[in-house]
Amino acid sequence: MEEEKQFEPKIAAFVCNWCTYTGADLAGTSRLKYSADIKMIRVPCTGRIDPVFLIKAFEKGADGVLISGCHPNDCHYNTGNFHARRRWILFRQLLDFVGIDSSRVHFSWVSASEGKKFVDVVTEVVNKVKEKGPFTRYAKINKEFVIHE
Amino acid sequence: MNELRAKAKELLTNGTVKVVIGYIESTTPDRTKPFIARTAEDAEKLVFNKYCVNNLALYLTRKEFRRTGVVGIVAKGCDVKAIVQLIQENQVNKDDVYIIGMNCNGVVSELGQDFSAETIATKCLNCSVRTPLLYHTLLGTLEDLPKREDKNFVLMQKLDAMSAGERWDFWEDEFERCVKCYACRQACPLCYCERCIADKTVPRWIESSAHTRGNFSWNIIRAFHLAGRCIGCNECERACPAEIPLSLLNRKMGMVAKKEFDFVAGMGLDTPTLVGTYNLNDNEDFIK
Amino acid sequence: MEEKIISLDNLSFFVNDLIKDNHIVIGQDSKEINWKRITGAKDIVVNSKNIPSNISYKEFVFAKTEPIIYYKNKKDEFDIVEPALPRQKLVFLGAKPCDARSIEIMSKVFNWDYKDKFFNERAEGSIVIGVACNYQDKFCFCTSVGLSPVTEKGSDLFLVPLDEKNFALQIVTERGKEFIQPYQKYLSDGNQAKSKEILSKIKNPEKRFETSKVSEWLTNNFEHKIFDNVGDICVGCGQCAFACPVCHCFDIVDEECDYSSGRRMKNWDACQFGLFTLHGSGHNPRETQGKRYRQRIAHKFKYYQDKFDEVLCTGCGRCSRGCPVGIDIAEVVAEINSLA
Ligand code: SF4
Ligand code: SF4
Ligand code: SF4
Ligand code: SF4
Ligand code: SF4
Repeated sequence: MEEEKQFEPKIAAFVCNWCTYTGADLAGTSRLKYSADIKMIRVPCTGRIDPVFLIKAFEKGADGVLISGCHPNDCHYNTGNFHARRRWILFRQLLDFVGIDSSRVHFSWVSASEGKKFVDVVTEVVNKVKEKGPFTRYAKINKEFVIHE
Repeated sequence: MNELRAKAKELLTNGTVKVVIGYIESTTPDRTKPFIARTAEDAEKLVFNKYCVNNLALYLTRKEFRRTGVVGIVAKGCDVKAIVQLIQENQVNKDDVYIIGMNCNGVVSELGQDFSAETIATKCLNCSVRTPLLYHTLLGTLEDLPKREDKNFVLMQKLDAMSAGERWDFWEDEFERCVKCYACRQACPLCYCERCIADKTVPRWIESSAHTRGNFSWNIIRAFHLAGRCIGCNECERACPAEIPLSLLNRKMGMVAKKEFDFVAGMGLDTPTLVGTYNLNDNEDFIK
Repeated sequence: MEEKIISLDNLSFFVNDLIKDNHIVIGQDSKEINWKRITGAKDIVVNSKNIPSNISYKEFVFAKTEPIIYYKNKKDEFDIVEPALPRQKLVFLGAKPCDARSIEIMSKVFNWDYKDKFFNERAEGSIVIGVACNYQDKFCFCTSVGLSPVTEKGSDLFLVPLDEKNFALQIVTERGKEFIQPYQKYLSDGNQAKSKEILSKIKNPEKRFETSKVSEWLTNNFEHKIFDNVGDICVGCGQCAFACPVCHCFDIVDEECDYSSGRRMKNWDACQFGLFTLHGSGHNPRETQGKRYRQRIAHKFKYYQDKFDEVLCTGCGRCSRGCPVGIDIAEVVAEINSLA
């Protein structure tokens, strides 16, 4: 129990420049607090989020991933998020099939004006990942060839 | 066989095609290998039988054939699916192929075996395209296929019933053997990228090292890049020296595509590709 | 040559003892895919009738991936840390004659100008326990490259199956003799006549070509179209090189690296890959698959012979059995032989 309390998850958040990133900014300027466990990575569009980014995040030790962008029909590039959505539907189930629990991967639409929603999403994601605990299977294969001095 | 040779000869001599991509006998009579017939004499060597496992659509995207003019190709139904998918993806010009379609009575799963209910390839068990969907000439006659249990499907159900952790352990055992030869990619008719993401170094997304982590990322991304594109010829699995059950991954993605989008790759020239398009009503119940 | 007898039961006890004595015993996997570390007598597959595994055991001396240095950035200089290489006591159990010589053959290139300690640390202490081969298919051609199904070349100890329950154990090298010394209790006295008779009954694969003739032809026919014919269908998958017991090309890449630290890995590579010879400028001296295939053949049957007086091939036939497009190396070389 003691250990669980101390677990600070590492969560990589890939967010689009035009909506969610601006939403997060709004949360900041409105002085809304959100967890520092989220490491934000800004990308131009959800359509730019190659699934390999998620794998890389897990390789680098992430316990969870959040992907967030503009609501449908609000994409700065019109269709980026529609294409992305289709890929996620496929990719989530592939992750599950190879044993990467897709409940570690969260998705949301957060617009530039939804500072509050952003904070709520982050809180929920952090709690859910905390519940799941550290992602030990990646941690294990990450130890291969690590030098012990 | 005589029909096939005669047809190939005719096409080559009257100039309809520049080459015919087909099969010839290999080291033993229960093996065949791909062959590029360029002359009427070459056409005499062509064969078609239950050992013609290769998916020859693989060769259509080769640079040298793109410039050749019309290319003739001997194709089973599953191979034609690959050709259709290549046309859909604008990799092959529809008017630049001449398909010698073969009515197909199944092939062996691995070369060097007799053809029987035991050894018939898994993909053939539930094949719906034994008469190809697209052809310029159709040869051969259909006979009944031997039947056996689809063991891969049973394994798939077993995997689906496991927890994510158990599935990881299953794949860790399998991927551990991967030697990163990329034979799976080279044998795939739809892995035609000139520069594969696995070969990109700046940045290097997929580690080239054949350790567990690199092997996981390669195999996941390979499967994903073929989601909605793989036509299930199983050439990848056959090429893999480590005998990793790659078809499970492809098949899973195929099942997801069917379930979520009612989409099957390579089945029609009128359906747009799966990941190149979208639908306003795609499922989003997993998005907050 | 001294000869003993070891029963199947005693072989199990022997292997268990080896493991207890910190030897790393490597044997062919029962699925015939690759070779694995044996954890107990139950994993033992010593079978003279086995098909050669898809992938050879070279990965235990020449790893498919391994770190060669670790580096760390300190203000103005780099700290280089070399990975610890504990000396391993490797024992290859049940190597067919077409596997047994692989380490010896590769050792020449790994000790030519630069001494590759990663290879040497593992190879030098290794013991090869060979077994006479009673498998044969159309792809086997050990006899064409100076070996045979019954040769003890390359083995330190050599097993000959006498009957269902017993092997003759020939003590081939001094190293083998020393190695078996502590385990004498599992051996009984042998009778050379019987094993000789058994070996004489094993049929040799047909000899397909003369390596000296092939090598000479290759010298004079660099641009021959035979290579392009193969290149027509070769898909450049590299399966042949990765499965091969003596192919030894590698690539060096950095990974896990950022501004402060990283590690440098040595990974298998293959001359059949299009990127293998691609220059930074964009020029590729082997730009077609035919040229790459020529390299494969010439390296095995000419360059390696010229330089090290060895054929870089043991005739195991793995590359041909596994080739997805049915390219049969013996067939290609036999064709060259007929042209010469
Ligand atoms: S999947 Fe269908 S078309 Fe393809 S080889 Fe099998 S039976 Fe023939
Ligand atoms: S991924 Fe495999 S089964 Fe699918 S098209 Fe490619 S080679 Fe065929
Ligand atoms: S063919 Fe098999 S061993 Fe080779 S890279 Fe693909 S999965 Fe790995
Ligand atoms: S295994 Fe066959 S197709 Fe693959 S690179 Fe070797 S010769 Fe070419
Ligand atoms: S080249 Fe082929 S036959 Fe020769 S040793 Fe290598 S894998 Fe075996």
